[in-house]
Amino acid sequence: MRDGISIARLGIPAVALVTEEFWPQGDFVANSLGMPEVPRIQLPHPVAGTGDSNLARVAQDVVAEIIERLAA
Amino acid sequence: MSAYLEAADEMSALEHLHELGCTDGLPIIVPTPDRVARMVLASGLEADMVLGIMGPGNGTATVEKVAVAAVMAGCLADSMPLVVAAIKAVMEPEFDLTEMQATTHCTAPLIIVNGPARHTCGPISSGFGALGPGHRGNATVGRALRLCMINIGGGRPGSSDMALLGHPGKFTYCLAEDEEGSPFPPLHVDRGFQADDSVVTVIGAEAPHSVIHSANADDPQDHEKLLQSLAVGVANMATNNAILTGGSVVVVLNPEHATVLSNSNMNRETVANRLFELTHHAKRDRLGGMIGGAANDGDYACFTEPGQIVILMAGGSGLYSMVMPSWCAGAHNNSAVSVMVDTDQFCEIPGLE
Repeated sequence: MRDGISIARLGIPAVALVTEEFWPQGDFVANSLGMPEVPRIQLPHPVAGTGDSNLARVAQDVVAEIIERLAA
Repeated sequence: MSAYLEAADEMSALEHLHELGCTDGLPIIVPTPDRVARMVLASGLEADMVLGIMGPGNGTATVEKVAVAAVMAGCLADSMPLVVAAIKAVMEPEFDLTEMQATTHCTAPLIIVNGPARHTCGPISSGFGALGPGHRGNATVGRALRLCMINIGGGRPGSSDMALLGHPGKFTYCLAEDEEGSPFPPLHVDRGFQADDSVVTVIGAEAPHSVIHSANADDPQDHEKLLQSLAVGVANMATNNAILTGGSVVVVLNPEHATVLSNSNMNRETVANRLFELTHHAKRDRLGGMIGGAANDGDYACFTEPGQIVILMAGGSGLYSMVMPSWCAGAHNNSAVSVMVDTDQFCEIPGLE
């Protein structure tokens, strides 16, 4: 989330990917850094260690929205 | 000046602070304006003096807010210079407090106190059970830091402090070095301070892990066997130190173990050098899932340099030393930070407990 905010502050389109379990922390960081509306997309939790095929499924589910948000 | 809450009585105030998430889950001393004002007065500093910004919530740590935490923690006014120094230390950029508060790792700031403040600002215990219950200075100074991390830094479990389990040192984690009983120069002297300086050294650390070694004066390799046991403790293959590598670690030698090493003409530097050597592992043995899988030949080092191995002497005499592996992450790889305790500003207040 911090990376997303730092990149957004540079004027570069950015979307933070945040898993469901870490969504409240993402909100906290976004609010504390003064960018509560910074773009972010929710992923299922966990993602790490769930295998290549699952990662591909997760990516497939969100890739269109990521592109859409980056292009907005 | 901070905003005030109102309550009908002390018990109502306590319950309200629990409900607001302003405590560590244990009862606190209600920080009434009078108590906080006296703690600020004892610090000798201005109430609105800004000590720094605490992450991840980016709260401004003023002397008054720190005094609120010190009151809540049950600190004696004498301890305020230590609390202020510990707060300054964790807000140094090298400490990476924001990242440390937010990580899923269990890390907690361990406060090590050296110099005269061990006696004048506590006392802070260094002997039997120094990391356990029964030592007011140790219990309250570490707790005050934690309450600052909660209420100024905004670190709360599950929403901004994402430690998967944490460890009991997140309530309080503070001890002094037993300088008088140590065969080595004090830790702060080896870190560049004068012997009569008072210094807090703060480092993010796991809970203490016990390391057993039964000394044998008839064994010429006794010191080496002790060092081998300590090396297993600080960087066994289940630790971040062995998997992520490049972070610091703490070794707390008990008096007997320190004597074993000093009797072999070792000092802090040569002990650290040998532990550095003993914490090289074969690459093919590296576990840890996220890193593992590469069956490369050769060795790798768990530490970047021996100075990352922070060695002090404390505890009662016996078989057990302690090691604290660390998180090894953040921009500065979990560095130790030492800050001088400013006791010159302390103002003794008659009748102030």
